[in-house]
Amino acid sequence: MSVSSSRAASARLVQEKLCNLLFNNQQKCVTVKRNFGSTYLPQTNSFMKIYQGTSKFGSFINGIKQSQASSTSIPQHSRDYSSVHTQQPAGPIREYKIDPYMLLEDELKYIFEDIRQELHQGTNQKELIQIAEYYFDGQGKALRPMVTLLMGKAINYHMYRENNPRTVDAQRKIAMIAEMIHSASLIHDDVIDQSFSRRGKPSVNVLWNHKKVTQAGDYVLAIASIMLSRLKHDEVTLMLSAVLNDLVQGEFMQLGAKETENERFSHYFTKTYRKTASLIANACKGSATIAGADAPIVETAFLYGKNLGLAFQFVDDLLDFVSSSETMGKPAAADLKLGLATAPVLFACEKYPELNPMIMRRFKEPGDVEKAFELVHKSQGLEQTRFLARKHCLEAIKLANKLAESPYQKGLTDIMDLVLNRMK
Amino acid sequence: MSLSRLYATKELLKKITFLNASRAITSASILSSNAPKPIQKHDFNRAVSEAEKIVGYPTSFLSLRWLLSDEIANVALHLRKLVGSNHPLLKTAKNLIYDGKSNMQAWGLIVLLISKAAGQSNDLLELEQDKSAGVLHSQRALAEITEMIRTSHLIHQGMVNLQTLKKSGNELASDSELIFGNKIALLGGDYLLGNACLQLAGLRNQELIELISSAVRDLAESNFIGDRDDENVALPSDPKCKIHIEDESPLEHFESTKDIDMSLILGHPEREWSFRHTLASGSLLGKSCQGTLKLAGQSEELQRHGYSFGKHLALAWQASMDLEPFRMQELPYNTSFSLISAPVLFQLDHDPSLYEEIKKGRKSVEEINYRKIHEAVLSGPGIEQTKELQRKHGQAAMDVLNEFPNCDARTALQNIIMAMQCL
Repeated sequence: MSVSSSRAASARLVQEKLCNLLFNNQQKCVTVKRNFGSTYLPQTNSFMKIYQGTSKFGSFINGIKQSQASSTSIPQHSRDYSSVHTQQPAGPIREYKIDPYMLLEDELKYIFEDIRQELHQGTNQKELIQIAEYYFDGQGKALRPMVTLLMGKAINYHMYRENNPRTVDAQRKIAMIAEMIHSASLIHDDVIDQSFSRRGKPSVNVLWNHKKVTQAGDYVLAIASIMLSRLKHDEVTLMLSAVLNDLVQGEFMQLGAKETENERFSHYFTKTYRKTASLIANACKGSATIAGADAPIVETAFLYGKNLGLAFQFVDDLLDFVSSSETMGKPAAADLKLGLATAPVLFACEKYPELNPMIMRRFKEPGDVEKAFELVHKSQGLEQTRFLARKHCLEAIKLANKLAESPYQKGLTDIMDLVLNRMK
Repeated sequence: MSLSRLYATKELLKKITFLNASRAITSASILSSNAPKPIQKHDFNRAVSEAEKIVGYPTSFLSLRWLLSDEIANVALHLRKLVGSNHPLLKTAKNLIYDGKSNMQAWGLIVLLISKAAGQSNDLLELEQDKSAGVLHSQRALAEITEMIRTSHLIHQGMVNLQTLKKSGNELASDSELIFGNKIALLGGDYLLGNACLQLAGLRNQELIELISSAVRDLAESNFIGDRDDENVALPSDPKCKIHIEDESPLEHFESTKDIDMSLILGHPEREWSFRHTLASGSLLGKSCQGTLKLAGQSEELQRHGYSFGKHLALAWQASMDLEPFRMQELPYNTSFSLISAPVLFQLDHDPSLYEEIKKGRKSVEEINYRKIHEAVLSGPGIEQTKELQRKHGQAAMDVLNEFPNCDARTALQNIIMAMQCL
């Protein structure tokens, strides 16, 4: 009872926040090239009726109307809405930006709270809960639940121009499950890679017995699987179960790659899809499927998630070379030390063929890591990787633009700034 | 750090001894009256192979399907690199492949047998009646999923704890054999678990998915119960922490352990034993038996019977295996046994001073004098109590079987239970 009521309250909060956001934003714009009120306000009167018919969106629209009315008398400042998460905006300067973290702040907070609650429901073993919820501290980027929620809401708006509470709840569950699958894989990755720290704190394998850590990862998966089954949707269950397979196969691909130079890139792409993009893509697809979207929309959602996931991982691989360990929360050049040849190295290899033998021996010989690191910086590898990431970002934006305009749909395009320009 | 104890994946070793013993046994004990067509010798292997014929094909083929996949072929390649190292994964793998028949496969076989014994509901759509030898294809898939989950769990348990290594962290030489072994074990287990999830999803029965997922949860949880040494080997609880309670009987059924007060369980020999092993094995076999009846469209009541049957059978099985090391009058050197086996727990309850020996193993069970505990158990009432425990669970499983119509599958299950009793 209390949970559902707090949820409703949070939904209201988000809408109020959104209105305030738009309101303030408009006040601050110097040149209003495009009246953003019209972006969200229905163009025709018939849409207007739909809006006013539903109480939640009624208040939402009224808020905007009021903001429009009052904005005329208030002097406007020259300051765009900015956020701590972005370095600088990519692409053309727009009049306003949606920061998805602001848009979904309360919901994201509840997502972690709810995940922890689910984990507590399954056992009375304190240490198991401790390990299992270690990475659900809300300190991560929460990219997966955020994208899943945005996609869900954008699709709901696209299809129905409103949010059906039952659909929204199922989509929240999918967002939670996506984050849980992700965390379970982090827990297992930490054991595999013998990592030292993650998100600025010691990683699980440093703090607990590896056998227990492994079991805790299995536990998180089991709880996620139970939640998934409670959605009672065969297709969605299949999609997200297939992600588990992709994740493991991606890990296997990383183990000992001995492919030729030509195959390397396609190997790297497939691996990146399986390890990162598959989860995001399928979570978006699930979110669309459970809303009852038709096949083209479901496909759009899937491809959006796939492109975003690929771009995200390319940037991740790039940051491994440029970011200091303090910002990343994990050691720099970690991939090289693990023997992995990511996009920057593969690009650099075209200019410096001496990297080839190093890739083949997985940077095992003394000095390999340092030499490769240096060559990557001397080559165009980093720029080329960023270009590749940008290409997938633009593709994702193109896909997002197929959906009807709404704050959430706008969030789907604006999130690309965060993906491309993030520092960690 | 001593690595010698890493050799032992005790669970599996125990089973080998258990099997070898079962081959030798030709018991002449009295046959139970409710077995219509009993086999004369209580040979466990014979009971199993007779049972396999009943459900269509030898269930050992179950494992071949996943052994033939690309990923596992990959794992096998990597395994070769480990040859010569001390990683316990080698032993796990060897046992899975060479000793696969009657151990690992037996669970899938039981799921198939109970499927056939119960038959399928007439309400089931004609379309879904896709079956051979009286077993639906979906039920066969479930039997395979059960095996995969169990194998995955055993592989994950057979990892090495490298947390205590001082060199922990990224600078660690990545070619260290133990790290590589752990990597393969973890991924191999994950592969099986992921595959089990995918196949389970393919059965398109959300209630079944919830049920089996909760069994996976229980398996994971079982590795956290009670005290453990640095290798996460379970240690029995201090018998002195036993609180007096009116009802000493074990918990019959629980949805999740969330609201269970561990102080009412740890230190009570039978309760602790049954709690630990329900999570570690009873839950999976019980829920798989329940699940297969769900697939057959059987009533909720019969499904509950299925759970009860599987759980009691797994516990009876466990009790038989627990007894195994104590058939020898003297424990050979360098052998160990499960410290949370029923005979040890009963003996601790009988003589709490034995706990002083257990305490030595808090850091590593290697410090424990197993021969001393073995001797103590042999001289105490623990073995008789365990036999009683074994009979109790065997009988409980038998009682459920009697609810099913008389058929060859039921007879086969009865034979397996009886063969187990005489081990």
